[in-house]
Amino acid sequence: MKNKPIVQIKNLKKQIGKTTIIHGISLDLFPGEVFGFLGPNGAGKTTTIRMMVGLMKITEGEIFINGFSVQKNFEKAIEHVGGIIENPEMYKFLSGYDNLIHYSRMIPKIKKHKIDEIVKLVGLEKRIHEKVKTYSLGMRQRLGLAQALLHSPKLLILDEPTNGLDPAGIREIRTYIRKIAAEENITVFVSSHLLSEMQLLCDRIGIIHNGKLISVETVKNMVEEQNEVSVHFLVHPLHKAFKFIQERYPHTLSRIKGERLVLNIREEDITEYTKVIVNHGFKLSGIHGEQKTLEEKFIEITGGDLHV
Amino acid sequence: MYNMIRLIQNENMKIYKRLGTWVMVGLIIFVVIISGLVDKFLLSSNMEGTWQEELQYQSMELEKQINEYESMPMVGNAIKPLKEQLVINEYRIENNVPPVENETIWGFMSSLSDITSFAAVFVIVIGAGIVATEFTTGTIKLLLIRPVNRAKILLSKYIATIIFAIFMLIIMFAGSFVVGSILYGFDRLDLPYLVYSGGEVIERNMITHILSLYGLNSVDMIMMVTFAFMISTVFRNSSLAIGLSLFLMFTGQQMVMLLSEYQWVKYILFANTNLVQYISGTPLVDGMTMTFSITVLIAYFICFVFTSWIIFERRDVAA
Repeated sequence: MKNKPIVQIKNLKKQIGKTTIIHGISLDLFPGEVFGFLGPNGAGKTTTIRMMVGLMKITEGEIFINGFSVQKNFEKAIEHVGGIIENPEMYKFLSGYDNLIHYSRMIPKIKKHKIDEIVKLVGLEKRIHEKVKTYSLGMRQRLGLAQALLHSPKLLILDEPTNGLDPAGIREIRTYIRKIAAEENITVFVSSHLLSEMQLLCDRIGIIHNGKLISVETVKNMVEEQNEVSVHFLVHPLHKAFKFIQERYPHTLSRIKGERLVLNIREEDITEYTKVIVNHGFKLSGIHGEQKTLEEKFIEITGGDLHV
Repeated sequence: MYNMIRLIQNENMKIYKRLGTWVMVGLIIFVVIISGLVDKFLLSSNMEGTWQEELQYQSMELEKQINEYESMPMVGNAIKPLKEQLVINEYRIENNVPPVENETIWGFMSSLSDITSFAAVFVIVIGAGIVATEFTTGTIKLLLIRPVNRAKILLSKYIATIIFAIFMLIIMFAGSFVVGSILYGFDRLDLPYLVYSGGEVIERNMITHILSLYGLNSVDMIMMVTFAFMISTVFRNSSLAIGLSLFLMFTGQQMVMLLSEYQWVKYILFANTNLVQYISGTPLVDGMTMTFSITVLIAYFICFVFTSWIIFERRDVAA
């Protein structure tokens, strides 16, 4: 997986008027991975995506897709990109099929049978010749996916693909995305403000907040960290105990919160820590554990202004 | 090039697969038929004598008017077309060439060339919507994330609009030919069109004359459609583009009339859109010529096109 990146974002900035919306984002995406771009509404996800596909001009920095600069060589760069930007807004007065014909005419070398193939892939065979205005939101979403996959892109960009879908629709989309990423080695870049959804879908997650990319982690790591519990020890004397733990376990995250010593440790280690504390003459008057979900962690990172 | 044709195909598909477009086409045909019926049954002149007598009477009136004008100062060149008409009338009587104005297919077709402004309304509606609706429906996003640069997309839209304009004109032309031939038959199909040029009367082919009338009348249409296209691209609002263009199209000429005493008025677009004034009629401002008007029109055209393209290419597509 870790070969040449398909997308390179280098110190990307966007300024509108005097307001800076994106403050220097750098990120590499690799073939075949599903990357989640996570952040609360207004964090800059959509702006970043719009700059990636050339809908918005880049103020500073550069974006390379498949080695081509989006600013300088737009046509080459975008050739390998398929996307849905926010809602899949198609021509409602045309049939689904005409919509696909429309987009296929804008790309050289697309065969008719390719359209039929894609229609089958997204399961729209029965309704494809009906007008889009008769479609449900889920069907429009699938048609949106079809138009994005028409030219066998190397990078699929999906901006909030599950917005407004019911749980079944969300699952359906998720299945498609995982399937195409695995089968066709497509890089998928998905934005969302729902962590729970990203967790199931993505290999890596980048968290964006106030126009800054705060952290990029693999989902595996995030989940592993989740096994840790914040354990509150009511211990006396507090500061001495804190110092002792810091010296003895330098790799354990420890801090003082109110009258308590808080350690981030795994559940199975609680006994060991308690034993050590007691054996070294500290007075222990209470222990209580606090499970932190990924969601809470995310809220902590983004300062709580997350709409879930 | 191949690429461009496919883009135009796309735009055409988006125009002609809409019901509204065909309603407009239907309305044009309807108007042609109605004006044919009105022309034939309501406006038919109550000529009492032959056309020769009618012409002689008209010539007498003309002479009277010319004499009146000559005694007045400051009429300028208003007198010239009257004199020319007089010469043409004499020529008709001498050479037995009846006028086409009434009761012939040619007369009907040339009178209908004046209502190209009706077709212009519909073409403006299409031109005003072709960019703006992509923005209002949000389809612009999926349109622009293709390996085609924005200039080409806009060009395909403009060309599609012009094709629609030509389509409408053909419908009007063919429609008026069919309606005219049904109502008046092909009786005097060989009648020439007479022009006064360089001191003598010249006979010209009627069909070329009518085609050139359509051509000159559609200059107005093309300019206003390009204007609507620009407004639509700049403000992304089709209602504004339609409203503003139609308002200017219908009031522009009047405004120019009101201001016609000023010399600078000749640089206003609407003083120049009516090219028919150089063929039959008097120029609005002294010293205006066909070449001058065409130069002004080209300048405006370049300005409209330039603005549209620059704005469209630079625009950040948000929300």
